Amino acid sequence: MPAPTRAVAAAASGFSRRLVPATVTAAPSTAATTTTPSPTSPTSRCHSTFSSVNPNEVSHFTALAAEWWEPHGSSRLLHLMNPLRHDLIRACLAESSPASSSSSSFSSTTTTSTSTGIPDASITYLDIGCGGGIFAESAARLPSTKHVTAIDPTPSVLAVAKAHARKDPSLAGKLTYKLTSVEQLPVPTADGEGYDVVTLFEVLEHVDDPAAFLDRVRPLVKPGGWLVMSTIARTWMSWLTTNLIAEDILRIVPPGTHDWNKYINEDELRGYLAGKGWDSAKVVGVVYVPGLGWREVKGSEKVGNYFFAVRKV
Amino acid sequence: MASNRALLASPRFVCRSCSRQARSSSSYRRSYATTSSPSHDIYDVVCIGGGPAGLSLLTALRANPTTSRLRVALIEAQDLSKTASFSLPPTQFSNRCSSLTPTTAQFLNTIGAWPHMKRSRIQEFHEMQVWDGVTDARIEFDWQPGSYASQGNVIAYMAENLNITSGLLKRIKELGGVDVFDNSRVEKITFGEETEDFDLREWPVVHLQSGKSLAARLLVGADGANSPVRAFAGIESRGWDYGRHGVVATLELEGDGWGGEYRKTAYQRFLPTGPVAMLPLPGNYATLVWSTTPANAALLKKLAPKDLIALINAAFRLSPVDLAYMHTQSTGQDDELAWRTQHTHFDPEAVPQMVVGVQEGSVASFPLKFRHADTYIGERIALVGDAAHTVHPLAGQGLNQGQGDIQSLVKTIEYAVAHGQDLGTQMSLESYNSERYAANHVLMGVCDKLHKLYSVESGPLIPLRSLGLKAANALGPLKSFFMEQASGRGLRV
Repeated sequence: MPAPTRAVAAAASGFSRRLVPATVTAAPSTAATTTTPSPTSPTSRCHSTFSSVNPNEVSHFTALAAEWWEPHGSSRLLHLMNPLRHDLIRACLAESSPASSSSSSFSSTTTTSTSTGIPDASITYLDIGCGGGIFAESAARLPSTKHVTAIDPTPSVLAVAKAHARKDPSLAGKLTYKLTSVEQLPVPTADGEGYDVVTLFEVLEHVDDPAAFLDRVRPLVKPGGWLVMSTIARTWMSWLTTNLIAEDILRIVPPGTHDWNKYINEDELRGYLAGKGWDSAKVVGVVYVPGLGWREVKGSEKVGNYFFAVRKV
Repeated sequence: MASNRALLASPRFVCRSCSRQARSSSSYRRSYATTSSPSHDIYDVVCIGGGPAGLSLLTALRANPTTSRLRVALIEAQDLSKTASFSLPPTQFSNRCSSLTPTTAQFLNTIGAWPHMKRSRIQEFHEMQVWDGVTDARIEFDWQPGSYASQGNVIAYMAENLNITSGLLKRIKELGGVDVFDNSRVEKITFGEETEDFDLREWPVVHLQSGKSLAARLLVGADGANSPVRAFAGIESRGWDYGRHGVVATLELEGDGWGGEYRKTAYQRFLPTGPVAMLPLPGNYATLVWSTTPANAALLKKLAPKDLIALINAAFRLSPVDLAYMHTQSTGQDDELAWRTQHTHFDPEAVPQMVVGVQEGSVASFPLKFRHADTYIGERIALVGDAAHTVHPLAGQGLNQGQGDIQSLVKTIEYAVAHGQDLGTQMSLESYNSERYAANHVLMGVCDKLHKLYSVESGPLIPLRSLGLKAANALGPLKSFFMEQASGRGLRV
């Protein structure tokens, strides 16, 4: 009875993947650090049934790769936004007080940067959807950073990121790029493993099923660690500013970068995360003011771009 | 100051192994090809030029907890040990002095350099007398009671440039962590190379004559009006020569000023040939800054001391016609002044006290230029001080502008470091350029226009400018505005 067997096998594989993702994803990820996973290999085929990576998005960002680091290129707004990401992460880490943290990285004997209060070389980052590496590079440069792992599924974009990182010797040893997707990353088994900070910057609006995607990300965060995201609210204002004005009229963002239908409202994001073991939610709405740059504006998370951070319980 | 002293125990931004790994793959000189390949020492900030701007940049970077981890180097052609050990008797003053606004003084204090300066050689002044040599219209600047400015009512501090640089050097030594390459000539500046590990093709590499080479995340040109860094970056500097020379000298006066030791006044008179200024130094000393035609400057430098003294006294008292005549004499100004003073009406207390001596060897001159670089930044390049802008000295703002540049650049670098940005990229440096270019442009424009306005001897402009000065003198708030500007506390533009 070949047919029922195949059906059972398929159901079982899907079942096991959903409940115990570690056993399925751990194996291929170690091999997939630099090479694209082959679609014909049995392990990766099972992932292709659920993938956060949308092929249309991949081809769009391939076209943008060359300009990623141009100061006046298509990624200028992302470059300008980047410092605000660090301000939020710093506020998050400041909340994880050394006394309350079970993590050994906050030991009192390590040297502490006088300017931030965070011990040197203590924080590990996972940057998902790192693109050309704007955030990943900057995180790796901070004295408080121990290591940054940055992943992206678009080969040409990751090639740009790797080539650019070679331009700064101080990044050597602190930054690792991997051409992979979240599904293929090894999931920590022990409690102390995982990353102190997992970042999803301008990523959620590019994945097909954000709720499922966030469930996959959760095991990668160390207990007590932070998931820090940024995305765009789905409002008439965000359509006007990010789609019509930024992309179509001013062309400061390449047309086709954003799909308004995939934008996520703050309350939706809260809904995806509710009851899943997150707390200490922080939200920061930001507005781009031409001539002034990005500014934090209270309440603007309901309107357009916003940051959202939660701590894993 | 020992050269090439690595005082920073463990540079965190660039590890030692990185510096070792950044080896050159291609050779610049034949000698390299036959010996081992040269390795560049990798720095976060390399500053060329050990003047007030360059030194206060390094001091500020070392004094700031956020930027103190950066690996920094200073390259200077001269021997800095002589500057550091600057020492003169209290009766002698160097002829190169600057007026420091309270803002600049405060900055030097914040970075810890002020206490290392010889305070007894610095003279603050509380009043300014500025007048038109043609019409005698006058504006007296002293702080109005209840005006916004406070801080002991100081308009500015007069200090010898050597006192400033010496104080900065002592502070740098105290802070440690700066690799100083003095007595070092820059042979050339090139771009780095691509190696197996790194791609330094966008990094400037400074090659010293000693064979040493320094790769810079950020190369700062504090290297003066003819900045080699600016030339390397391909940044144009535009402007014109005024056809004027600035004559400087250290003067001895008959007393310590009309207001005595504790209330000193700075004087400036606009003459058709350019402004002449006398700025107070401690005791009965003062420094002269006289901008005039190159021919007049040559004469001033040639005159016997008693004739030079007479001509300086005349510059603050006699009419432009009388002065012009005295410049045609090759000698005898002393007698000429005595005779003409009897026939000239002036209020002796409205002009500086009589000059009785000129310090030997202190008379010098330099051509005046107006230059402004097209931009202060490039990829991994920043220009500060005279490398970015050269201004007419009539407002005494040159050094203060440079210090303003440094405050802004350090703030920019601090922000970049705190947010993980590569501090050398143009993107990271943008705010320095936008903040300082506009501010300097406005100030330079005002100084330039004042010079042109007062270079006119006759015509419709004369009554207008006198009216302007008289009106400004009568209006307290307007005067306060000018003084706020002069003391660096004014509107930020």
